[in-house]
Amino acid sequence: MAKYPFTPEAAERVQELDLRTTELCNPEYGGIIARAEERIREAVEDALVSDQTTGPVGGSRLIKDDVELLSFPVAVMMVIYMNDKLLKRRYALAEAKRAYHLLRQDSEEKITTIAKRFNLSMKQVKTYIKSLETTSSGFYLDFTNYLKGTGIFHERKWKLVNRTMQHGEVQVTKDEIARLVAEEIRAHMEEKLDVKTDLKLPQDVVDRIEKLKQLHLALRKMHEEEMPKETVVDAFPPCVQKLYKTASDKGHLSHIERFTLTSFLLNAGMPVENVVECFRPASDFSEKMTRYQVEHIAGGRGGGQKYVPPKCDTLRTHGICTGGDEICERTWRPLQYYQKKIRLMKSHPSRQ
Amino acid sequence: MEKREFAFLLFNGKTMLRHKGFKRTEAFRDSLKDLSPSDVYYSCAYYSSPEEEMSAKGWTGADLVFDIDADHIPTPCKKEHDTWRCRNCGTVGRGAKPEECSKCAGQKFDVIRWPCEICLEVAKKETIKLIEVLDTDFGFSPNELKLAFSGHRGYHVHIENEAIRMLSATARKEVVDYMMGIGLEPALQGFDFQRGTGPSLEDFGWKGRLARAAYESLTATQEQREKPSSKKIKSVLQQKERTLGRWKGEGPWVLVGKLSSSNWKRIIHEAIEKQSVKIDTVVTTDVHRLIRLSNTLHGETGLKKVEFDAGEIERFDPLKSAIAFADGAVRVEVAEAPQFRLGDTVYGSFKDQRVELPTAAAMFLLCKGVAKALEEPVVVQ
Repeated sequence: MAKYPFTPEAAERVQELDLRTTELCNPEYGGIIARAEERIREAVEDALVSDQTTGPVGGSRLIKDDVELLSFPVAVMMVIYMNDKLLKRRYALAEAKRAYHLLRQDSEEKITTIAKRFNLSMKQVKTYIKSLETTSSGFYLDFTNYLKGTGIFHERKWKLVNRTMQHGEVQVTKDEIARLVAEEIRAHMEEKLDVKTDLKLPQDVVDRIEKLKQLHLALRKMHEEEMPKETVVDAFPPCVQKLYKTASDKGHLSHIERFTLTSFLLNAGMPVENVVECFRPASDFSEKMTRYQVEHIAGGRGGGQKYVPPKCDTLRTHGICTGGDEICERTWRPLQYYQKKIRLMKSHPSRQ
Repeated sequence: MEKREFAFLLFNGKTMLRHKGFKRTEAFRDSLKDLSPSDVYYSCAYYSSPEEEMSAKGWTGADLVFDIDADHIPTPCKKEHDTWRCRNCGTVGRGAKPEECSKCAGQKFDVIRWPCEICLEVAKKETIKLIEVLDTDFGFSPNELKLAFSGHRGYHVHIENEAIRMLSATARKEVVDYMMGIGLEPALQGFDFQRGTGPSLEDFGWKGRLARAAYESLTATQEQREKPSSKKIKSVLQQKERTLGRWKGEGPWVLVGKLSSSNWKRIIHEAIEKQSVKIDTVVTTDVHRLIRLSNTLHGETGLKKVEFDAGEIERFDPLKSAIAFADGAVRVEVAEAPQFRLGDTVYGSFKDQRVELPTAAAMFLLCKGVAKALEEPVVVQ
């Protein structure tokens, strides 16, 4: 239970132990608040909460498990109190990653049980391979659940077209199930954390929370990147380079190609005027129409929504992806490529 | 019915009346009588308030629909029976319409497309492919599918199962990519070019399909290949008998592992091309799609979108089963039309002629915009 503190059994146990916020400062429970603080610090610093359930056997181990278990709801409460969206997301991710590492090594029964809690029912099929004299275990997940669970993953290996599917059931490995379940846990936790609280906490706890908040803000500042003021054409991903060249060569662009180019250039910092100019060479160019559309995509009119270029997956479906280079292998959004390439160009000015 | 949005295209060709909802079929029939639309569509989506505008409709799910159209499948006969005309400068051409006009780079065209036997057969074959993949790979048996001839040059397949109703647009795109082989990585489907290993011919899903297609590709004769073979492939083919023998025994990849990786890539690429199901990618992905209502007429042909059992597809003859007007005759003046069949009769070709035709044939030419109805009364003898 301490391994997976978000399950109903764990929640029951927490109820049994009946911990109250006022008691948190009681030195007897010192371990709990310290571990809760540690969980959050691990999330902020490493984006991964460690597992502290393994320890010496016997009486002291049981207490250690309870500490580990109770530190979870305490940590959750503290994160809610901090009321920082980015921190909440990071903490949810860190706890999910912890669960992933534990699940990978757990038994197949355990994994399938926990998976069921998150509406991921899978079938397990054991096939005996005569030539190797072993039994191999395959897990099969219904394709609608598979698609729902993998919607957020980007690696090619998750694409349905790269899987073995038979009669609507997709084959997944134990490791992949662990990953799928961890993702459900992350989403579930984000939801749980998305509340506000006006709970009154003891001063000691408030102090610890403040320390953590400072740590989080300091680290965040370090990682924040700024987009360069002027667009760097050399850093455009190959797909956008092609569109950009086609536009200036008077070539025809389809609706989605125009949208991709426009939204990319705007997000890369190009002012509306310059974007409109990009389309001038087209034979059927209408300044009024083009300006209207560019401004709409920039979010200047009506809806006020800022559009971003489609994901690489979408561009591939519509035949806009040109195949990609090495940087493309690790990106799934054109703007992401742009940021990566700029970073690369900064650190290796001789390399292009 | 009350959860669907309906849309009517009027005969002026421009007005599309959308956001229509009906609680009872009588009200729907009355609307049809009042409006006399050229085409009727309904949403594959379910809404709590279909008459509201998009953001307020309340999307509660959608059917999974596939559209196979000869428009999206390259056929050599299009050059013979399809014509296009640039709306900007009047340039005409044959075959499928281009991306942009060669003279003025305009992108808007008027097209005339003919549902010839070859195009229809090609669309039917592709639909049969689709039905098979939906069965063996996705687990939808043919009797779970709602299959219909589109009324022009293709087929629609609807799945109204609860299991797929809440699939997101992203999930539907994954289904599209699966059908079309987009994003397929041969290495993930069992190919190792270094070691020369690959999936076996009996494997399921894409593995088996690729293996079988590659096998066909390698064993095709020189004449059947569209591109000239490399020397290596030629040498493999010379040892064809040996290759096939070992293929069945040990698996083919060891032998052909001698091929360079660029040759391999080409073979795999050809295999994906051949095995992919050429569906309309936009239709399946769109969770708000409006699609033609069954048993209504197609404004471009006067034929019906008619449903039929998936089991009947081999024998299905759209040029017979989709005919809506069985009686009477009409006199028309035809500008130009190639030969075409409807039912058991072949008509035309025509050029600047006045002729009396059975209603269905006359309607067909009228809908194609190549004929005018003549006011002269039909003389019954």
